[in-house]
Amino acid sequence: MPAKSVATQTPLLARPMLWGATWFVAWLGARMVLESASVPTWGRVMAALAPAPIAGAALYTIIRGARELDELEQRIQLEALAFAFVLAVLLLMTLGLMELAITLNRDDWSYRHVWAMLPMLYFAGLALARRRYA
Amino acid sequence: MKNRLKVLRAERDWSQAELADRLAVSRQTVNSIETGKYDPSLPLAIRIGKLFGHPVEEIFIDNSEE
Repeated sequence: MPAKSVATQTPLLARPMLWGATWFVAWLGARMVLESASVPTWGRVMAALAPAPIAGAALYTIIRGARELDELEQRIQLEALAFAFVLAVLLLMTLGLMELAITLNRDDWSYRHVWAMLPMLYFAGLALARRRYA
Repeated sequence: MKNRLKVLRAERDWSQAELADRLAVSRQTVNSIETGKYDPSLPLAIRIGKLFGHPVEEIFIDNSEE
């Protein structure tokens, strides 16, 4: 099946972005609930797991959208993900080694904070890949 | 790999966006092919050949053959 034209690619990218934003809002909601001391343990566990189904829906939409992209855009996305994946592994590996080497402040370096760097690595990779083919 | 896409497009007085629509790809893809930054897949190269009425090897020239 031929790829969609540029005019129809914007909605294909907009839908995953919308799901990504919904996922982020769910994460914010979960954090608000978990920071409240009055919520019972079962409620805290439910809040921690609440973003997972939304992430699943986001993943489904992203993969469907990726299949509809034209071949250059697929190449760009692949390069962005490769860049982000390698740097994310490096970041987590280095963090693990640094934990063994020195005492890291958990308020700054726990996974609670570090995950936010992963989307940033993807967007950095995306910018580099787009520049390469511009 | 070199190609004659820009020349063929200019002969027909098509913009990059127009050619992109005819090939069902993005304008960025057409631009990247024209500037030699991206080599198209075989199915896309065949679509380009059919659209311009030339064999693929007349549009895309392998540098190593020179």
